[in-house]
Amino acid sequence: MAQSPLILTDVTKRFGNFTAVRDLSLEVPEGQIIGFLGPNGAGKSTSLRVSLGVIPPDEGDVRLFGDVPHILSLRRVGFLPEERGLYKKMTARETIAYFARLKGMSASAAKARADELMESTGLGEFRNTRVSKLSKGMAQKVQILSTLAHRPDFLILDEPFSGLDPVNQQVLEDLIRAEHARGATILFSTHVMEHAERLCDRIVMMARGRKVFDGTLPEAFATLEKGASLEVEEGFDLGAALAPKGFEAHRAADRGHGDAWRIALPKGAGPQDALRAAIEAGAPITGFAPDESRLRDVFVSLVGEADAAALDDPLAELEEGELA
Amino acid sequence: MRNIYLVFRRDYLGYVKAWGFWLSLAAVPALMLIGSLFAMFAAQSSPVRYYTVIEPGQLYAEAIDAEFARNEAAAMAQDLADQMQLPDGAMNNGAMQTLRERKFIEVSPPAQDIDGLRPYLLGEQLVSGPLGDKPLFAAFILSNDGQTLEYWSDDVNINTLRYEAEDAVRRLARKHALEAAGLDPDFIQQADDGAVQVPARRIRSVTEQESAGSEVTLADRAPVFVAGALAYFLWLMVFSIIQYLLMGTIEERSNKIFDTLLTSVRMPELLAGKLLAVFAVTSTMMLVWGLFALSGSAFLATQVPGAGDMITPFLAAAASPQILLPALVSFVLGYIMYGMIFMALGSLCDTIQEAQTLLSPMMILLMLPMFAIFIAFQDPGSPVVDFATWIPVFTPFLLILRMPHDPPMWEVAMQMGLMVVTTLAVLWVSVRVYRAGAVNGASIGDLGKMLKGVVRKKAA
Repeated sequence: MAQSPLILTDVTKRFGNFTAVRDLSLEVPEGQIIGFLGPNGAGKSTSLRVSLGVIPPDEGDVRLFGDVPHILSLRRVGFLPEERGLYKKMTARETIAYFARLKGMSASAAKARADELMESTGLGEFRNTRVSKLSKGMAQKVQILSTLAHRPDFLILDEPFSGLDPVNQQVLEDLIRAEHARGATILFSTHVMEHAERLCDRIVMMARGRKVFDGTLPEAFATLEKGASLEVEEGFDLGAALAPKGFEAHRAADRGHGDAWRIALPKGAGPQDALRAAIEAGAPITGFAPDESRLRDVFVSLVGEADAAALDDPLAELEEGELA
Repeated sequence: MRNIYLVFRRDYLGYVKAWGFWLSLAAVPALMLIGSLFAMFAAQSSPVRYYTVIEPGQLYAEAIDAEFARNEAAAMAQDLADQMQLPDGAMNNGAMQTLRERKFIEVSPPAQDIDGLRPYLLGEQLVSGPLGDKPLFAAFILSNDGQTLEYWSDDVNINTLRYEAEDAVRRLARKHALEAAGLDPDFIQQADDGAVQVPARRIRSVTEQESAGSEVTLADRAPVFVAGALAYFLWLMVFSIIQYLLMGTIEERSNKIFDTLLTSVRMPELLAGKLLAVFAVTSTMMLVWGLFALSGSAFLATQVPGAGDMITPFLAAAASPQILLPALVSFVLGYIMYGMIFMALGSLCDTIQEAQTLLSPMMILLMLPMFAIFIAFQDPGSPVVDFATWIPVFTPFLLILRMPHDPPMWEVAMQMGLMVVTTLAVLWVSVRVYRAGAVNGASIGDLGKMLKGVVRKKAA
């Protein structure tokens, strides 16, 4: 049986009186892409730093490739921290090769790998450019390539998409898929749910230091109450009209013409069934839209609108970082 | 070891690739070279000037000439050679000829009174001399009553010639007075020569004295100079690493690179690599400066016979285990101790401005050993020095300085042990402070809280 690259058991991390991560248990099976989701301040970065042994947990157990994190097991890991940083006076090529060498590659192999990666990501002409002269996006790409250079078995990427333009976000998505196809296990944190929807086999959601969900995407969507939106002419009581047919309808925000209603779908019923029932009930329908569930809705349903709002506000709560 | 090497290599190349490094490297030799060239140029560019003496005979002209001969640089150089115990004749060589060049030459008076001399002194007419035709720079005219020797010149700001003349006439008057009293003109010199000598003797064991004698030689003095140089060198090295360690750590902290590094190298590997890199950078600088000084000395040795004999005792002292061993221990431990303190403090700073607030207390901390070195150099047996050697921040410097004075072995052993314990304690605390700064973003304001925490944990 394949060994899980990372297993966290009941991990708690406190900074003074603030508990950043509480009783987190998590297993990252080999070969999967796992999204670690949650707003800023949810405890994602702290969990990742604990996972890598950068900071020790106050309680619980961390197993990286079956052992406590140490320099040899860390050689199999590529880590992109949330707080990006490179040596500004080194060139792009030197930077990638340096970090690859720290992970055990020989000098010649590291340089060759740096060239290969830069060529394949369009950075070839900047190989001898100092990091300080690169744009922010290019510097971030250099850091991502430094993370991948030694062909790690396990990639941990903390908010890898932040700071990248849409084109480079797509480049990064492609890189993640390529690394996954190569056989790497990938755990990445993000507060942008769309990336997780496109990439992940499994997602783990965090809020206020606690894990609130751990499962596949279908399992995540299954937690949502399904529904549809109907707009009817003003004054028509859709709730009363649909109740005898087994549908529950609530008045929603007014969106223009007439009244807007949200219909909760009972188990086994689809949006078309709700529409049919409304027509049969003689509702003067002016608009209809089946719900398109997104991960954000899953998150809202799990943690509430207040915590979910932080997903959209990058300045909401800064990630913790206190004295150990 | 590989990771230490990689961190060391990156940091070292990072430092030596910077312009500042090359500027610092070139600054000392360049300043020395420019200083020497300027001095040589100043000496050589000074023009040779003519003067004349109008008197009935040649009495004052000869006296002034004799005074020049007495005071010329060669005589001073010989005095210097005597002081340095150089072999006889060491300064009688071509290198000193430049210094000996006479800058004032007496010529025959072109006229016998000031009115006649006026056009020559004002440069309207030239006088002939050994170096061709030149304006007359100055003229001495003895008054009719023989009581004053007037000095006439267009440039009264250059007084060398006048001062020489004053000395000459004073010496002449003394000579006449001694002769009038029926004494030999060299009476005073003979009296001085007859004074009881006070030679320095070094007490040794009987057998040592039989082989080495009792005279104090350069070999007796060299260990003190070597120890002083080593102590000062260590201080200079520690002083010069502050900037590197502070700035280097601040750069990494502000670049937010620690998380990446610490998932690739162990903390001790990172710190060791960084300390070694800064050590290598300062060593490179000092090595280059040392080589420059050595080349200069070697050149001087070719010009000054016997200079090699002078260097040998210093080399022997530097190679003596009695000095070398404590010096090495003090060097390594002192460097680690101070280096770790600066690196830990640097890890708490986000900006250079923050670091600058730390520089003042650090400078004071570093000036204390300098004062201690100064006192120890003046009086190594002072109780103050004895006491200060037991203070860990002074020990590395003072232990080296005390070694030529044969301190008790138990003291040396205890002080080395104290240095080891202190260095380990500093390492222990510094690593924790560094980790808090580098990994957890702690700042200077958190230092007190951290140290309290460290002490509490230790007590628990």
